[in-house]
Amino acid sequence: MQDQLSALLAKAAAEFPAIATRPDFEAAKARFVGPNGELTALMKQMGSVPKEQKPVVGKLVNEAKAALQAHLDAALARIESAELSAKLGPPVDPTLPSPDRALGTHHPLTLVREEMTRILRKVGFTVVEGPEVETEYYCFDALNTPADHPARDAQDTFYLPESARFGNVSKKNPSEKYLLRTHTSSVQIRTMLKGEPPIRIVSPGRVYRRDTTDATHSANFHQLECLYVDKNVTVRDLKALLDYIFASLLGKDTKTRFRPHYFGYTEPSFEVDLSATHLPKVNKPWIEIGGCGMVDPIVFKDVGYDPEVWSGYAFGMGLERLAMLLYGIDDIRYFYQNDARFLRQFA
Amino acid sequence: MKVSLSWLQSYVDLTGVSANDISRAITFLGFEVEQVIRTGAPKFNNVVVGHILTRDKHPNADKLSVCTADVGSANGGVRTIVCGAPNCDVGNRVPVALPGAILPGDFVIKEAKIRGQASSGMLCSAKELTIAEDSQGLLLLTDTPEVGTPINDVLPAGDTVFDIEITPNRPDALSHLGVARELAAWFKKDLTYPTVSFTPAAISANPRADLLKSVRVEASTDCPLYTATVVTGVKVGPSPDWMQARLTAVGLRPINNVVDIGNYVMLEYGQPVHTFDAKKLAGAEIIVRHAVEGEKITTLDKKERVLSANMLVIADAQNPVVIAGIMGAENSGVSADTTDLVLEVAYFKRQSIRSTVKRLGLSSDSSYRYERGTDVHSLDEAAHRFIDLILAHAGGTVAGPIHRVGADIPWQREITVTPAYINERLGFEIPAADQRAALESLELAVVREKNSASGAPEWTFSVPSWRDDLDRPIDLVEEVVRLYGAEKIPSSVVSAPGLVGNDDPIVLFNRAVTSALVGQGFNECVNYTLRPAKELAAWATPAAIADLALSNPFVEDQSHLRNNLVSGLLESLKLNQSRGVAASHFFETGRVFIERNGSLSECVAAAFIIAEDTGERSWRTREAADFYTAKRHTATIASFAGIELERQPTSLVAAPALGWQEGHAATAGNIQHGWTSTFGLVSLAHLKALGITGKVYAGLFAIVSEKVTAYADRRSYKPFGLQPAALRDLALIVPEATSSSEVQKALAKVARAAVGNTFALEAVNVFDVYQGAGWLTNYNKSLAFSLVFRAPDRTLTDDEVNAVFTKIQDELIKTTSYQIRK
Repeated sequence: MQDQLSALLAKAAAEFPAIATRPDFEAAKARFVGPNGELTALMKQMGSVPKEQKPVVGKLVNEAKAALQAHLDAALARIESAELSAKLGPPVDPTLPSPDRALGTHHPLTLVREEMTRILRKVGFTVVEGPEVETEYYCFDALNTPADHPARDAQDTFYLPESARFGNVSKKNPSEKYLLRTHTSSVQIRTMLKGEPPIRIVSPGRVYRRDTTDATHSANFHQLECLYVDKNVTVRDLKALLDYIFASLLGKDTKTRFRPHYFGYTEPSFEVDLSATHLPKVNKPWIEIGGCGMVDPIVFKDVGYDPEVWSGYAFGMGLERLAMLLYGIDDIRYFYQNDARFLRQFA
Repeated sequence: MKVSLSWLQSYVDLTGVSANDISRAITFLGFEVEQVIRTGAPKFNNVVVGHILTRDKHPNADKLSVCTADVGSANGGVRTIVCGAPNCDVGNRVPVALPGAILPGDFVIKEAKIRGQASSGMLCSAKELTIAEDSQGLLLLTDTPEVGTPINDVLPAGDTVFDIEITPNRPDALSHLGVARELAAWFKKDLTYPTVSFTPAAISANPRADLLKSVRVEASTDCPLYTATVVTGVKVGPSPDWMQARLTAVGLRPINNVVDIGNYVMLEYGQPVHTFDAKKLAGAEIIVRHAVEGEKITTLDKKERVLSANMLVIADAQNPVVIAGIMGAENSGVSADTTDLVLEVAYFKRQSIRSTVKRLGLSSDSSYRYERGTDVHSLDEAAHRFIDLILAHAGGTVAGPIHRVGADIPWQREITVTPAYINERLGFEIPAADQRAALESLELAVVREKNSASGAPEWTFSVPSWRDDLDRPIDLVEEVVRLYGAEKIPSSVVSAPGLVGNDDPIVLFNRAVTSALVGQGFNECVNYTLRPAKELAAWATPAAIADLALSNPFVEDQSHLRNNLVSGLLESLKLNQSRGVAASHFFETGRVFIERNGSLSECVAAAFIIAEDTGERSWRTREAADFYTAKRHTATIASFAGIELERQPTSLVAAPALGWQEGHAATAGNIQHGWTSTFGLVSLAHLKALGITGKVYAGLFAIVSEKVTAYADRRSYKPFGLQPAALRDLALIVPEATSSSEVQKALAKVARAAVGNTFALEAVNVFDVYQGAGWLTNYNKSLAFSLVFRAPDRTLTDDEVNAVFTKIQDELIKTTSYQIRK
């Protein structure tokens, strides 16, 4: 019996490694350990083993059983692994490009706008929106632009026909004309009329000028405008804001400087220059970046704020111009062509 | 406006101040310097007059000569200099740059050896000294100037011209005197006005009624003051060299003494003047009146102008001879044989001039100043200066009396301000004495001064008549900071008291849409708002397009407001396809204008397109986008406006489908209720017309701007069941035209009723649609639904779910025409 067991194990050791398929495995399993298998047959002989040898032979049988099971397990594991490999196919080529679409891209104007509003949000400005179709009152009158000012010319400003009706752009006076806003300053007026001071807003948006389109001009472009109204707002506060904005945007060494200028709705008024030596494609020490000033008392009076009590500042700039400076883009028309090779450069 | 430095020097002494410093001063006074132009020779050191003594051929170079030149004992006497110019002949006097001289372009002259020959300086051409664009050989100095003389003493004096932008609030600075006044204040120097010697009292009674009988102002509102002076016996000829040089420097062409003097006075005082040939005035009359409607005048530029009734003209007894303040008639001006002049110096209202300029599209240096406002109170001084210069440089005598029509216009303006107020507005300290000095340097004068108990002063300033822009204390803040130097405004930190408020919902909507679509692989585009009518024709009815038109478009392809964003995106796609750029997914957010309740509404919108033709091949193909892809993205966009698009009634786009493909595009929402959306396949015919290859799916969502409420109140938590769900599938056979949502709703209604309150019907989802051709005679669509049941408190048993499921089926058979597919 002992010899028979040894022979069985030797046979198993020889046969099992060659088993590669499930049917072969099942057949082998039946042949060795099935109800009609060889081990089963041997175990049936246990009855004829002398009583005193039973413990020894029993132990041998159990060992043989375990050894066979180990062969079975190993064969099954091998088969399962081979089946899985067949299912998975050959290994991937990890260097092939993914056929899935890459992440999309933000337009550079969006990136610049979002960066500016993020910077301004940190010092308490909230972002507001206003209509792009405006009326003469909000775009000009309320901003102290006289009736015969050149900016109001049909030569420079797009107007809508007198018959035009806009359901959701309110007119101050029934006789005024609709136009496409020439600056985002109109949002200042709407915000001040709707709310009450203190006010701290930034309004980015699209504006329109009746201009020839070329490398630096576009019939529509984008501006970003800040307005702060509170008690005791000073010129120095305005300078602090500009220094903060551009240090945040371009690094701590960035400097700004003010040059006196004229805007109808601020007094005093300044143009803002930026130290530009570290900007791409700029070869001037200072570059003009926007306009600003202290809100003119006339503007406050017009929206019903007491200029004796309230003071404030406003700052505005062009977003295309800023984006062109930041990225070194040399033609404004690229922003509006949407060539994907352009769009993908900024993420 | 161009200003000449040498001209400015007549009124303010800027000796020793560099052109750079002056340019900077002008800039920080508030006038942008667009260009600094140098004329004539710059200032040279170590460039002197030399006399060529000998000339020999260079031993080692064919084209060079070796010369000796006497440059004066103070400069080392006779020097040997190698020269390449053909005209370095013995006896010529030429400019010699000595070692140590720096010529323009940072060209340093040194002792040198040229082809083995020592050279101690350079003989110069006009080009090398930058006094000519080009030159043939050395600059030969005529009139034998003394050897050794610094070259600037010999060359005509150069000038520096500043081209500056005068802001519209400062018409006073449209003159050399005005700019000089600013510079005098900046550099703390005195301003010297021109000496005016003429006085009306000095006119001998010598009336020449034959030349000018009367001056009549019929339009005194537009012309409050008009003066005319007759000067007889003038001789027309060239104006003096210095005057020609100044006019040339600032870009005017000298004509003759009379015309030049008129221009000179205008550029000196900012007061336009006009000169008539007295003999050409019909009837010896001047009438200032409004034009007769349709009246014609041929102006100096030889163009016939048709005038209208509100335009101001200066007329003689017969015809208008000047469009007042703008331009004279072709044949009324001064000519070579003119001997008698009428000098006009007048004040015209800016609004009147401006409206005429605008209507005629005609402007001039004169109208430019009138439009911005001239100072009526300086008018007489300018007029007298004009007469002085005519008498001095054209001769003649004044034939009195001076015609002066119009009442005196009083001027008195005072502003009361305290230094404390100015410092409060500035947020930093400028000493009171400095503030006062700054204002006084601009010729504001303290007329009253009060001191408070604490000794703080309060000043009342009188404002000079040319500074009509100064009216309030805040205006003086600007003057003080201007002269203090805006670049010296100190920096500080932003103080930001917290204000409650969130970004506008529109901003939040755009931000959310943008990041979602970018996350889905779309490239964000920005297109022009203004579109050509022919592009919109595919996306709006002719009536709607008419309403979108601008009244004054600039170019034909930007004539209308956009009513959608898809058409712009298709243009972007087309551009990329035509450039062979691989790209298929584009989106844009922005405003569109849509008809709503009989008027246009400005809407916040977002749109995307997905092109089938990606422009590139891939080694593995992904499933192509279809209608339902477009629907999903549109629903995503709508969700950021708080709208659950999938729960909204959705129907195929009704005819005319415009840019959309009939049967393959749908709409949800209605702009009359505040929002609208369209999504699906773009019309294949339209794509073909555009030249776009492959199908394009698109979606557009638009919402009336005030209806955007992206951030609704914070939601509260709803408990959800933890017990397992029970699922049952049910397939229904329905008529082909029946929509899935209709069946789904009917089934859900029946199922909910069947469930009652015993447990919950959680979802009814369609999971299979079968539409085989000829599959059943009358019913040829099968919709399979999965029903999800769940009880909050227990695991549902098969029996109770089966009971409900049977009930649902029975009820469906009883109440609907649907068949149950076994």
